[in-house]
Amino acid sequence: MSKENKDVLYGLYDDEEILLKAVDQANSSHLDIMDVFSPFPVHGLDPKLGLSESRLHIAGFVYGAIGTLTAFLFMTWVFTRDWPIIFGGKPYWSVPAFIPITFEVTVLFASIGMVVSFYTVCGMAPGITNPTLDDRITDDKFCIAFDVTGADDASKDKLKGFFSQSGASEVNMKTI
Amino acid sequence: MNQFTFESRYKSVLIGFMVLGLVCLGITFAIDDELHTRFWTNYLQNSVFFTGIAFMSLFTLAAFTTAWAGWHTLVKRVWEAYSLFLIPGLVLMLIVVAGVLGHFHHLYHWADAEEVAKDVILKGKSSFLNAGWYSLGTLIIVGIWIFFAWKMRQLSLDEDVNGTPEFKHHRILRVWSAAFLPIAGFSSAAIIWQWVMSVDAHWYSTLYAWYAAASWFVAAFALTILTVIFLKGQGYLENVTEEHLHDLGKYLFAFSIFWTYLWFSQFMLIWYGNVGEETVYFFHRREHYPVLFYGNLILNFVAPFFILMRNDTKRKYGTMAFIAIIVFFGHWWDYFQMIKPGARLTAMDVLAHHGAGAEHAAEAGEHALGFAMGFTIPGLLEIGTMLGFLALFVFVAFNRLAKASLVPQNDPYLQESLHHHVEIHGDESH
Repeated sequence: MSKENKDVLYGLYDDEEILLKAVDQANSSHLDIMDVFSPFPVHGLDPKLGLSESRLHIAGFVYGAIGTLTAFLFMTWVFTRDWPIIFGGKPYWSVPAFIPITFEVTVLFASIGMVVSFYTVCGMAPGITNPTLDDRITDDKFCIAFDVTGADDASKDKLKGFFSQSGASEVNMKTI
Repeated sequence: MNQFTFESRYKSVLIGFMVLGLVCLGITFAIDDELHTRFWTNYLQNSVFFTGIAFMSLFTLAAFTTAWAGWHTLVKRVWEAYSLFLIPGLVLMLIVVAGVLGHFHHLYHWADAEEVAKDVILKGKSSFLNAGWYSLGTLIIVGIWIFFAWKMRQLSLDEDVNGTPEFKHHRILRVWSAAFLPIAGFSSAAIIWQWVMSVDAHWYSTLYAWYAAASWFVAAFALTILTVIFLKGQGYLENVTEEHLHDLGKYLFAFSIFWTYLWFSQFMLIWYGNVGEETVYFFHRREHYPVLFYGNLILNFVAPFFILMRNDTKRKYGTMAFIAIIVFFGHWWDYFQMIKPGARLTAMDVLAHHGAGAEHAAEAGEHALGFAMGFTIPGLLEIGTMLGFLALFVFVAFNRLAKASLVPQNDPYLQESLHHHVEIHGDESH
């Protein structure tokens, strides 16, 4: 997350099938893709970009396990040590009665923990505006972006050639 | 290979297991008490369990067709074949019905006129729990299921040959499927009350039917996974990939949790309410059958929960076969613990009241609740009987499977199933 501005050359595609072919083409001509944007997850795109599987679900499991322990141990402490009350003639340590709350707290911890982790990793928070290359990449366009900061005209032309060859409907430059 | 051939080597293995099952039933009958309680409970448990799996396969087909699902099309012939086990299932249950009518078993407390006469609760329930309703209910309800299974199978087979570009068959199939869903929902509950819950005739639970039906459902999916893996191993179903296995695994995982949810909901409300008439069911099982009671939760919740939680375990054939065997056995175990304790008490009651010195015998009955092979835990004879019934089920299913193409031709969703992808991150490239 450098503060310096980047010059980005990007092409917009109309269809995810064209996008996937274009990514293959870029890979085979050894072009260094900065990022790909799409309005929805495209099947088979991640391995082409060499992205490894997200570890968010492992974090989710850990948060969930922390939630389970927190709820269960807290209730155990309250009802056996801190403030023992007999409910309906049940023993102080009534495990079946703890299970629904333990379950709810597990879900709460896992979901909130995962949202916070995801936002942190993506550099998102309330009040932070992330630059968008084009509004339509959240709607109906698929985008391949190249970082061309400090690149010479020859390499920019090469990228433009790639875009027109691979069927991009639009090619733009933006400094973000 | 699109055409499954029911080779004679499969047949001989299956017939071998059926003979084993018969031998086990025979030995159980011979070494049993005078009411043959162990024999009849084994018979009832397995008949109900496998008939239920057939019913749930039909229910799954109907639900998926109604929901316009497409991923399952490549495995739908397996469920069609399973659903036709309802016909032998009805025959198996009619033997239990004959026993109720002819009084040659004592599975049900309410079937004994003398007992009902002096028991206020049984008398109060006798308008539903009686031989007439039991026989008619079994005949009519399973009859309706068979009709739907047959009808949907015929439409599916006819589509193979006479399918049209307008998908005429599938539109009709959709109507039949949608019609079956409410019928299945209500009738399965009624039949579970009659077949299983009435074993504990004094007790009732409004959640019971769902819980027992969820058990059938998970068992049906476990068996489907095993069959698919077997058929793939034999070189059939080459278009079924780990993508389809993944979805079957999700169902196995989700409905294992669903089963646990229902089990716990039933348990906790009864535990919390603490009404003697209700708690007796769980108290009795926890005190006298702890292995069944806790084993049930380990096999059907803990094992699938931790093994199937991760994405990648649902895509591995070995892991899936392993967990499917555990869960299948687990739900068979669940039916074991539903039926055995209640039927054992009924048998003790009958023996005590009909024998000499009624009160003395009843007292002896309480003491006799100690360990008994085939009641406290399933013995080798129970396992053998289960394998026999399973072989019968698989025999019938394979027989049907061999009668049609494994890939439903002309099904509108065939292409969707052939190109099914569930994982964004998979290795598959376009």
